[in-house]
Amino acid sequence: MSNFLFGRYLPGSSWVHQMSPQSKLMLSFYFVVVIFFANNIWTYAALSGLILLVVLMSGVSIGYFLKGIRPLIWLIVFTVLLQILFSSGGHVYWHFGPFSISDTSLINGGFMFIRCLLIIMISTVLTLTTTPLAIADGVQTVLRPLKKVHFPVDTLALMLSIALRFVPTLMDEMETILNAQRSRGVDFGSGSLRHRISAAVPLLVPLFTGAINHAENLSTAMEARGFTDSEHRSKYRVYRWQRKDTISWAVFLLIGILVLFIRKS
Amino acid sequence: MPVKKNTLRLNMLAMFIAIILLQTSIPLIGYIPIGPLEITIIPMTVVVATVLLGTVDGAIIGGIWGLTTFVRAFVWPTSPLAAIVFVNPIISVIPRIMIGVVAGVTYTYLKKHFKSQTASISVAAVLGSLTNTVLVLGLIYLFYKAKAPQLYQINIKELLPYLLGVVGTNGIPEAIFSGIVTPMIGVPVKKIFDRTGR
Repeated sequence: MSNFLFGRYLPGSSWVHQMSPQSKLMLSFYFVVVIFFANNIWTYAALSGLILLVVLMSGVSIGYFLKGIRPLIWLIVFTVLLQILFSSGGHVYWHFGPFSISDTSLINGGFMFIRCLLIIMISTVLTLTTTPLAIADGVQTVLRPLKKVHFPVDTLALMLSIALRFVPTLMDEMETILNAQRSRGVDFGSGSLRHRISAAVPLLVPLFTGAINHAENLSTAMEARGFTDSEHRSKYRVYRWQRKDTISWAVFLLIGILVLFIRKS
Repeated sequence: MPVKKNTLRLNMLAMFIAIILLQTSIPLIGYIPIGPLEITIIPMTVVVATVLLGTVDGAIIGGIWGLTTFVRAFVWPTSPLAAIVFVNPIISVIPRIMIGVVAGVTYTYLKKHFKSQTASISVAAVLGSLTNTVLVLGLIYLFYKAKAPQLYQINIKELLPYLLGVVGTNGIPEAIFSGIVTPMIGVPVKKIFDRTGR
């Protein structure tokens, strides 16, 4: 199943795998911000080079990335076409009604294509080298400053990791429910609007009921093991800041400064 | 064994977040495609969560959905519209939080004054769904009417009628749909929910 979050993790021991999840998260975020500063060929070249380096360091074959991009390619092409047809300014080659094609719109369209690719690449690196649970852990670390304003960071992180833990379980249950309904002759995915709407109900009711039962059982199990609050919990795996994180940040910051210098002002 | 309210609440929220994540990634239970349009079922999940857990928790679930939409707009957009519009966190997150708030307030009010739970959930679902559509539309209008967006240099003024058309044609059937289906899901699930935790 093609998916943007689950079942994409590839185990490994590369440089990127070994980095701490919090710095991977922040680096991805930082990278996306830097991408929006890029506005000429040199800045995009620098960022593409950086991504290539990251992909090499992740030890994941490039085929996985291409597989990740393939289902999105039409969407990107469509967005780029919108960009080309609807933007204004520059030397106009062709225009009809609200549509026009000009040299600036073509250049902007090309840049947008690269930008989409870069963002998808960095997020793919993140999900291929980090387990969902590690990402939840990273979120907890990144949000820690919010504790000062009494934002329940730990509770949120615990909730998130329980949710991520139960996504595959609920997915399996849904599969079972789907097959059970199919064996009774329910046809999903075709028929009139009313038919499809009524097909959703016998899917969702058991799914919700199952989820409620899970919540209750899990609560009992947690309390039986002495769970009181989510603030003072210890962790099985502790992710520490390492030298690899520092070096990666240094490289990313350098490229970021470079982009600021060579961008068209 | 009776469990503490806090633990149960934590786990209920976690389960609903899991369901939302599932719905955003599996088309069959998250979106119903009808011709060129797509009707989301996710607002109904938010409304059901609101009815079961209360207004605040419904708003949290809505907020999580909004955050998922926001992140997805960058890395895995569902449509070109999403890639353009939902990169603005105000447009992607706030309307979804408000689904929970509006549905919660409506439901608590109606429950006090009317007997029929089906009708209360139905009205709450219609209003919740409309809140989403109206706020998304309104915020797109507010943000993109005056100035061209900086992130994507598209001339939005020309695109605006198309955007509004798409969202509008989606929004009306979506509201009707949630009004009919949400009580069909909400009423039996609430019965089971009321039995838990004691």
